[in-house]
Amino acid sequence: MQKEKILIVDDSEMNRSILADMLNDEYETMEAENGAEAIAILQKQSSVFSLVLLDIVMPEKDGFEVLKVMNKSRWIEDIPVIMVSAETAPSQIERAYELGATDFIIRPFDSSIVHRRVNNTILLYAKQKKLVSIVADQVYEKEQNSSLMVDILSHIVEFRNGESGLHIQHVKTITDFFLHRLSKKTNRYALTDNEISLIIMASALHDIGKIAIDEKILNKPGRLTDEEFAVMKKHSVIGAQMLEDLPVHKNNPLVKTAYEICRWHHERYDGKGYPDGLKGDDIPISAQIVALADVYDALTSERVYKKAIPHDKAVEMILSGQCGCFNPVLLECLSENKDILRKALAEQSNLGTPTRREIRNYADAVLHSKSGGVSERTLRLLDYERMKNNFYAAMSEEIQFEYSSATDMLKISPWGANKLGLPENIMTPEQNTNLQILLGDGWKDILHKRLGESSVECPEFSFEHKFMCRGEMRWYNVIIRAIWTDSIPPKLSGLIGKAVDIHDTQTKFMELQEKAIRDPLTGLLNRAGAREQIERRILNYPEHKYALACFDVDLFKNANDVYGHLFGDKVLLHIAQKMTRSVRTSDICARIGGDEFLIFLEYDTDINPIVGRIFKQLCGNVDSFALTVSMGVCEMSRAGETYKEIFHKADQALYFSKNSGRAQFHIYDDSMKDILVNTDET
Amino acid sequence: MTLQECYIALGGDYDDVLGRLRSERLVQKFVLKFLDDGSFGLLLRSLEENNTAEAFRAAHTIKGMCQNLAFTKLGNSSSALTEALRGGDMEKGNALLPQVKEDYDCTVSAITQFKAGII
Repeated sequence: MQKEKILIVDDSEMNRSILADMLNDEYETMEAENGAEAIAILQKQSSVFSLVLLDIVMPEKDGFEVLKVMNKSRWIEDIPVIMVSAETAPSQIERAYELGATDFIIRPFDSSIVHRRVNNTILLYAKQKKLVSIVADQVYEKEQNSSLMVDILSHIVEFRNGESGLHIQHVKTITDFFLHRLSKKTNRYALTDNEISLIIMASALHDIGKIAIDEKILNKPGRLTDEEFAVMKKHSVIGAQMLEDLPVHKNNPLVKTAYEICRWHHERYDGKGYPDGLKGDDIPISAQIVALADVYDALTSERVYKKAIPHDKAVEMILSGQCGCFNPVLLECLSENKDILRKALAEQSNLGTPTRREIRNYADAVLHSKSGGVSERTLRLLDYERMKNNFYAAMSEEIQFEYSSATDMLKISPWGANKLGLPENIMTPEQNTNLQILLGDGWKDILHKRLGESSVECPEFSFEHKFMCRGEMRWYNVIIRAIWTDSIPPKLSGLIGKAVDIHDTQTKFMELQEKAIRDPLTGLLNRAGAREQIERRILNYPEHKYALACFDVDLFKNANDVYGHLFGDKVLLHIAQKMTRSVRTSDICARIGGDEFLIFLEYDTDINPIVGRIFKQLCGNVDSFALTVSMGVCEMSRAGETYKEIFHKADQALYFSKNSGRAQFHIYDDSMKDILVNTDET
Repeated sequence: MTLQECYIALGGDYDDVLGRLRSERLVQKFVLKFLDDGSFGLLLRSLEENNTAEAFRAAHTIKGMCQNLAFTKLGNSSSALTEALRGGDMEKGNALLPQVKEDYDCTVSAITQFKAGII
């Protein structure tokens, strides 16, 4: 047989060695010389150890720290810890026990005591583990029952109308009530806890046969005719038949119980019920109880053919036999506890969570196991799902995230968190500085705006956002699905989403966009680009003062003809350079035609000296070619003037300069308004 | 020198340790191991460097070993030192150090003599 493994944690080599020597006959030992090392070993292979012997005073991390980590990671639930320490102060011992230590061995070590304590502790834990697994299996069985239940019910609920949903819950609550009262009162029926919970569950199925009944009869607002009633009565047999015909689960105890209830929940104690006219305790107790519950809820609920009857009146009607004959013991239960019943039902509708009692039963069943009512198998399945999701998330190379407003916590997929250098869980993300630095400005506004625009019908939206990823600003396409509650009106309860790196395609796209508005030779804006930017500038800052200057190279054709096209290009490049150097970077420079250029600039008081300076800069020799330009300028004096209008005026001024003998500039005034220019600017 | 004589020389309780560890072989093994333990050097260094936490741990380790080996005399003085250092009282710690040093030297010298005899 394999030896149990023990981890000895003590900073003194001698102490470890003494303990190891004492235990090595029976156990396999492993040693750690400080708390940090112990934690590292446990992290790697916590499941292989049956016991930890732990010193308190140690460098790195002390014994208390180790206990804390073992609590946090819940190893302490599976691995018992015996403290081995020279510490004898009661406060220290107390603290160790509080942190989950099982036992204490105080130095000096006595070989036989160490042996006994270690032995006992390991045995005790082995037993406990076995018990936990037994309980877990039972809980699993319960879960399987209820999932089967949900299978059947959800199948049926589709066929049913709204009122029955509540009816089912009420019947379950009342059945629960009677079962517990009954087992307190008498042990005639000797119901086990397991049987009780089966009956409660199965009670929800009592009316499944109704799906085969014509809806016209089911929802008829008025008394049924004899024929209609005969049809209606068939539902108990039909329901039972449906269960009997189940191909797989026929022998499941839950299905068997449900069969009894379906078939006989309209029988009466005196044999006057249907379908079989069973009498007294020939009717299974499950069906007797559900029959009573069904009657009570039918009385106290509103139906298409009747109003709701108050609790007291309903109880009175039942007790006086107006709804048929019931088991006298059950009637006693009812009359003795009618207030409790009323309370139970009121509580249920208040909470809106009718299965609370079941949940409590489950919790009881799991004893005090800290796993919170979920069996190990379920946890394993959840783990598997999580692993699967993480795998796919990592493969997709997307940053996936979810946010829930209830917890105000942002969860990022492990791959994404790693990519961003953020933790996987971020509390109060809107206040998180790291997140803020990473996402930069504006994301909150965009997000809130788009969330506000989303709705139950269109919960999805996407936007592009640039943010910092490992020190690099990159473009991401962020796709989000807002999560709205089912309530009326719906409320925003969170979101899920992903961010996909589109940096490379986005950069390419922007490059292309940039290219489209630039003149390839000079790198200045082209005509369309200039117009767009100017119009945007005017729109955004209408109160600023602007001027637009147009110019072309005097006798450029000659330069081309005499010196060749390459030289012509050189002249154009020269001009572009001069232009950009003589204006502010915020001003707009463009080449709008072969040798035609445009400058759009902002100024404060007088445009004349500014234009004069620029004009002077532009003229001069390029190699042996004496470069001059003719320029026309228009001040944008009136608000509301359009680009088209001032461009036209600047062009008129340019023609005026040309007509006046070139190599000069003029600022538009009204005397030029009749100059005709063949501008095709639109 | 027998192991029992060694215990008398260093002021320890041989019967106690034999009762707990159950074998002379084991007792001898751990007694010899005591010579290899660096805790005393660490204690001196930590006190010099005024590192109270480290000094406390070293004293504590010595105390623990003494308890396990039933080195009563050194155990008592190192225990007193441990308690002084636990409270962070360096002054008292330094005052108690000479006694610990004397007991330690006595212990080491007894074990060394014993060791010389068995090799």
